[in-house]
Amino acid sequence: MAGVSLSNIIKRYGAVQVVHGINLEVAEKEFVVLVGPSGCGKSTTLRMIAGLEEISEGDLLIDERRMNRVAPKDRDVAMVFQNYALYPHLNVADNMAFGLRIRRMPKDQIATTISETAAILGLTDYLERRPADLSGGQRQRVAMGRAIVRHPKVFLFDEPLSNLDAKLRTQMRAEIKRLHNRLGVTSVYVTHDQVEAMTLADRIVVMNDGRIEQVGTPMELFNNPVNTFVAGFLGSPPMNQMKGQLTETGARIGSAEIKISGAMNGDAGRDVIIGIRPEHVTLEPGAQTSVLPIELDLVEPLGSEALLHARFGDDNVMFKTETHGDLSHLSGVAEVHIPASRVKIFDAETGNALSLGG
Amino acid sequence: MVEEHSTATQSIQDNVLQAREAAPLHSDGKMVRLLDHFKREWQLYVMLAPTIIWFLVFLYKPMYGLQIAFKDYSIFRGVAGSPWVGWEHFETLFSNDQFLRAIGNTIKISALNLIFGFPAPIILALMFNEILNARFKKTAQTIVYLPHFISSVIIAGIVITAFAPTGGIVNVILGWFGIDSIYFLTRPEWFRPIFVGTGIWQEAGFGSIVFLAAIAGVNPSLYESAVVDGANRWQMMWKITIPSIMPTILIMLIIRIGNIMEVSFELVILLYQPATYSTADVVNTWVYRQGLQSGQYDLAAAAGLFNAVVAFVLVMTANTLSRRYSRTSLW
Amino acid sequence: MMKWNLYSRGDKFFAIVVSVLIGMFTVATLYPFIYIAAVSFSSGFAAQAGKVVLTPIDATVEAYGYILVDPQFWISYRNTFIYTIGGTVMSLAFIIPGAYALSRPQLKGRRFFNLFIAFTMWFNAGLIPFFLNMRDLGLLDSMFGIILAFAVNAFNIILLRNFFEAIPQSFEEAARMDGANDFQVLWKVYMPLSKPAIATITLFCIVSRWNGFFWAMVLLQSEDKIPLQVFLRHTISNLSDDDEFAIVQTAAGFSAETVTAAIIVCSIIPVLIVYPFIQKYFEKGILLGGVKE
Repeated sequence: MAGVSLSNIIKRYGAVQVVHGINLEVAEKEFVVLVGPSGCGKSTTLRMIAGLEEISEGDLLIDERRMNRVAPKDRDVAMVFQNYALYPHLNVADNMAFGLRIRRMPKDQIATTISETAAILGLTDYLERRPADLSGGQRQRVAMGRAIVRHPKVFLFDEPLSNLDAKLRTQMRAEIKRLHNRLGVTSVYVTHDQVEAMTLADRIVVMNDGRIEQVGTPMELFNNPVNTFVAGFLGSPPMNQMKGQLTETGARIGSAEIKISGAMNGDAGRDVIIGIRPEHVTLEPGAQTSVLPIELDLVEPLGSEALLHARFGDDNVMFKTETHGDLSHLSGVAEVHIPASRVKIFDAETGNALSLGG
Repeated sequence: MVEEHSTATQSIQDNVLQAREAAPLHSDGKMVRLLDHFKREWQLYVMLAPTIIWFLVFLYKPMYGLQIAFKDYSIFRGVAGSPWVGWEHFETLFSNDQFLRAIGNTIKISALNLIFGFPAPIILALMFNEILNARFKKTAQTIVYLPHFISSVIIAGIVITAFAPTGGIVNVILGWFGIDSIYFLTRPEWFRPIFVGTGIWQEAGFGSIVFLAAIAGVNPSLYESAVVDGANRWQMMWKITIPSIMPTILIMLIIRIGNIMEVSFELVILLYQPATYSTADVVNTWVYRQGLQSGQYDLAAAAGLFNAVVAFVLVMTANTLSRRYSRTSLW
Repeated sequence: MMKWNLYSRGDKFFAIVVSVLIGMFTVATLYPFIYIAAVSFSSGFAAQAGKVVLTPIDATVEAYGYILVDPQFWISYRNTFIYTIGGTVMSLAFIIPGAYALSRPQLKGRRFFNLFIAFTMWFNAGLIPFFLNMRDLGLLDSMFGIILAFAVNAFNIILLRNFFEAIPQSFEEAARMDGANDFQVLWKVYMPLSKPAIATITLFCIVSRWNGFFWAMVLLQSEDKIPLQVFLRHTISNLSDDDEFAIVQTAAGFSAETVTAAIIVCSIIPVLIVYPFIQKYFEKGILLGGVKE
């Protein structure tokens, strides 16, 4: 089982500690995405797995073997770099063959491997070209090809799509996902883009400030963020977070009474942050909804949906609603309705999610 | 009230241990990691070693040999075995008229180089910038860069031939105006003009490359907005180009000042003769004659040391200035 | 020439004046070469009488005849090729690996080593200690000594190091993950990526070796080891000191002036042949090494 295991991994540069004890198990064939804002330590963590950064403390196991002191080339991992690092003086075939030649794979075997991989990636017609003569998407594929031909135990991706334009990024994202389904190689993928994380990951690891905030499937993280950071990081537009207090029956934000599901166990009066995802509100009242009066600021049509920018008290809030092909009914919106089951409650000080009911 | 989600990854979930209990197996010590580093990177040190050894043998060992400036050096006793004499050589030097004259000449030649030689490549670069015809510009540049690649022996040969008293082109031209032939290279008053002029002829073109690059780095929209504002080329040169390349000009000026003690003595040796020593002899040529031709190694080494220390102080000062007045330092 | 049509009359006048000035400077740069070439093909008598201005007078190749039969000319010509090729190869063998090692962030003591090398740009021991050191090393009058002792300089190392540093680190990392060791990373990735910088340094080495004069004059005694520049110098100073030569040989159709000119032409020709090829590199190169941001 070619899993990756990190236990208490710490990275220091001199006296500055940038990764504070990461614990993570990546299962065989799993696709794990490390996501977080820049400087959160996700790339450093990936580079420690690759062997490009020394591990200051802790243990890294790949396929059950301790790798801390093993050179990158002997870890049997392959990496796709943000800038691809394609050798500009070599053509596509030679770029893919580079690692195989260094490892002295027999020539005919190299040729077969290259042509098979090129076929998978749709690069067969481009094998003689230099990287400079390729489009962004093709370069991206060559970079992946160079990793694939080695048949490594683990793929590492360091923000591989961030150099592509939005359209190509969507397309290549799907290709990476398909490729993973096909090859089934354990993958660790670093990105700052939460959409990539949501779409690609079996499990997402949200990192912040050198620590793991939460690990879980995309839907777990989306539905049950453990704190305001995760809540704000995943989802687009991000969750609305408003200051309020718990009451005997629910919660209060300014003048609005909000129904929540679950009892508060006598925590009434506690300062909390109330989180509501933009897409969870409705314009019509429902069975278990509360009213939030708003001042509508701006309507941004996106086509089938529209973003409503509004103000509630001192808070700027944003909601997403369906247009049904028409914006006219949105111009006069003065209130939205919040389903009780969708309301998230976080502690005002720690930002941690409060479990409701129980 | 965690909501239930049956996702495709549920099975993977079951296999995975959630965040492990904190218990590092063991951590590697500093020595172990240092050993690992050398085990992994020894090749880098192998690559570096020849260069470092070369510097030690050919550049640092002579610095050790500089101690003869304070010794009564004899070839037989060697550098280490010769007896110390303290500042004796320096006292001799500073009471030696020829040496003092050489310092004076060094500074005078450098000053002339600075006054006439420094602006030349800047003016040339500004003029090249005004040339629209790319082909003419390229050809002219190719030609004016060329003398930089010609050896000083040849340069001196050309100068000697051109300034020859009989048949040399300079005297031929003077003859057209009825001026009597001058044996330029034996006349002390002519040495410095010829030397500095030769330097400009040889290096002005090549020196303009740096300024041309600086000019090329000026944001073109500055010129476009100046055109819209009705400026002419002359005004653009003064109001845009020159202010924009000022940092480069300053840095090059500072480098020049830092190198005041470095007159290209190779060319001096090739052009001067005893008759012109009074204006031509610089510190390094004096060192060459005293040391390598007359064998007074210790005295000559002392003169060389003096020159090197002054040059070092000048360069360091220059770099500090450059760091202070522009964002770039020289290294 | 779109721009020209947009110029005002004043601008056009200014541009014409500048073009004329540039043209004059270019001619002034070129003229000495033309003059020397003309002298070399003139008769000794014409040269001495000051008749040569632009074209050969009483055209003859006598001066070349005098030079080309001198075996010492060919020996020193050959030696210059040996110094140039051997010296350049030696330089690259030191500089490329050294600069690469210095460019790697993982090198321990990198700051110290860089300072160790840069320091020699600001302070050097001078002529005498260098000479005595060469003597102590037994490298006087040695061709190998010349080749080795001038192989490295701080400027070229720093130039190439800066270039290596500018190559994204991920190229090394990718090659590392592909299994390459440091030598392979340098040889298979960094050197091909650094062709312009290496070409520039090669060019600098070739030029300085081809033109090298002073130390060859000081360190070499044997006639069979001296390079062309030293031979040239000997010939020029011997000819102009030797009044008898002037009188006797003028009758033979050449003179000190024409012979000097002929040697100059002979030793410039290789430079002129190579010059157009190297030109595209040195403009880049001088900027590479120059000011480090």
